[in-house]
Amino acid sequence: MRTLRLGVIGAGRMGITHYSIINSHPKVKICSIADPSVMVTSLMGKYLEGLETFKDYNKMLKKVDLDAVLVCTPPGLHHEIIKQCAALNLHVFVEKPFTTSKVEAEELVKLYKDNGLVNQVGYVNRFNDVFIKAKQWIEEGLIGDVIRFKSEMFSCTVIEPVEESGWRSTRENGGGVVFEMASHAIDLVNYLVGKPDKVIGTSLNSIFSKNVEDIVSSTFLYDKGTSGTIYVNWSDESYRKPTNKIEIFGSKGKLLADQHGMKIYLREAKPEMKLSKGWNTIYITDVFKPVPFYVRGNEFTRQLYEFTEAILNDKKSSTCSFSDGLETLDVIDSLFKDSNSNSF
Amino acid sequence: MDSIDKVVFGDNQFFGINHMSQEKAQLLAERFFDIKHIYEVYDHAFECGIKGVMLNSNDRAKEICEHFRSHKKEYEFINWYPSIPYPHKYANMIAEKGIFPTINEVLFKGNTASGVLGMLTKGSAAILGKDAIKLMKMLVDIEMKMFKGLNVKVVFLQNIVVDLILGFEVKEVFIEYCEHVRKKYGAIPGLITQNMPHLVSKLKEWGIEEVVVCGSFNKIGYLMSPDLTTYEDFAKSNDSSKYQLMAMSTLASGAIRPKDAFEFIGSQNIQSVVFGASSYKHIKETTEILSSTL
Repeated sequence: MRTLRLGVIGAGRMGITHYSIINSHPKVKICSIADPSVMVTSLMGKYLEGLETFKDYNKMLKKVDLDAVLVCTPPGLHHEIIKQCAALNLHVFVEKPFTTSKVEAEELVKLYKDNGLVNQVGYVNRFNDVFIKAKQWIEEGLIGDVIRFKSEMFSCTVIEPVEESGWRSTRENGGGVVFEMASHAIDLVNYLVGKPDKVIGTSLNSIFSKNVEDIVSSTFLYDKGTSGTIYVNWSDESYRKPTNKIEIFGSKGKLLADQHGMKIYLREAKPEMKLSKGWNTIYITDVFKPVPFYVRGNEFTRQLYEFTEAILNDKKSSTCSFSDGLETLDVIDSLFKDSNSNSF
Repeated sequence: MDSIDKVVFGDNQFFGINHMSQEKAQLLAERFFDIKHIYEVYDHAFECGIKGVMLNSNDRAKEICEHFRSHKKEYEFINWYPSIPYPHKYANMIAEKGIFPTINEVLFKGNTASGVLGMLTKGSAAILGKDAIKLMKMLVDIEMKMFKGLNVKVVFLQNIVVDLILGFEVKEVFIEYCEHVRKKYGAIPGLITQNMPHLVSKLKEWGIEEVVVCGSFNKIGYLMSPDLTTYEDFAKSNDSSKYQLMAMSTLASGAIRPKDAFEFIGSQNIQSVVFGASSYKHIKETTEILSSTL
């Protein structure tokens, strides 16, 4: 089988993590990286043999012959970069939140629908062992029809006043808790329950950030009668590590899941699945599947291996495509509009 | 290479870390909010014959080190196994500020040695950027400050750093780290990893020997990449005079009963186990099983 020639744009935290993970794939060669920081490119150029480094991604795309690109820049740049990738027929993996506007996302979805190339957005929860199992069981009807849910995320990311610099300080560039963190909680709802038909009661709070929000809460409504809430707060210092929790109440039971485990309450026992009536606890150790190389969690490896293997085997990358990324942006778009109409 | 302690006492239980349950982690964090309770648990561990202590360089570790330093006579027997850096400190700062502003802040804030101050100008930051090795050594020294005066046996680099650099395959960082730990701290270099077989094969390729390699090792293959069989085959053929193996996550966060877990470890070619527990009963049980199986 051929070797996949890969380029990386953006060497921030995610660019560096993805580089390390996918460099372990025997059929991938990382040919080039682009980042405006001289510090980064000079470091990488010095220690990584055979890697071409660029300050300007335009130059990299023009000069290096690539099959695929990992886009890990500030979100405000994603649209422009991916448009260029499409023109060059490159497969694209892009970090969440895909783009910063629904209209731009729609354009990219169309481009990649037409060219048939592999496209993926980095909503990594979809590759987490526990959430994969939760989805499977919900689809199999284990907890019956979904009636109500709450999707929550907490972290101690911003716990003191932030200097107003860089892309994180403006929403246009993809800053704020909605784009940076709640997008995960919203995507998890889309993945497990489906995309809401209406968004109401949104509120945004700023605590330490001046121009962007630190807390978001909102209510999602569905035509079929389901409803639920999201609450995301990245200024909660009682959480040592970022935590993603979802609770789903259904007609036959209830499911509580986070990245590390799941609790299920069932109204009736399911002996064939070894689940009892009442509470059942499923630990990550019961459902995990090992990955070839571990850097930051099985899900990070799994998502990039799915992307590269889809390209190498001429398949579609199906777990989190651009269309899925667009659905999350559509919800975010409704959420901001709702919040605007709610303000005093 | 010096032999390491067969049983090393870990610290996750003190700092609100429980991979299985956030609720349990929180309860433990509350109990250990009063640091006296941490010292009590250490005393229980020493009573059970433990002499090795692994401690991550987090904020509370500073206070713990200070305690044992000021009671050094009573605790002369302890071999310390620091693990650096404290990843969450960096993770949060990186998320907020970016990687290089974080490094700048860590290096320069509160570390105003005159030699370091001179580098603060923009141009010299770029020069520092070109020399990752120098940067790495400075970061190691900052993290190691709190362990000064304690009997340090092994200095471990945390898996988040080891596995990231392993993915990049930058052998210079590993070579220089090991050299730095040996020379400056007179200790054995240690590497924590979730990719043990792959790491050791790379260390061999790069000619790095006499290292302690610590990684998850349990009978269900949890946090063992690529898989359990590869680990078992690797351990069987491993030369422990070059790479001493220390097993962590032996209970797979509680998924395996201690007796089964340690019988499995005892059947493998493993030199040492690091475990954490917070009750006297668990510590005693674990050390007893370990001394009969290892």
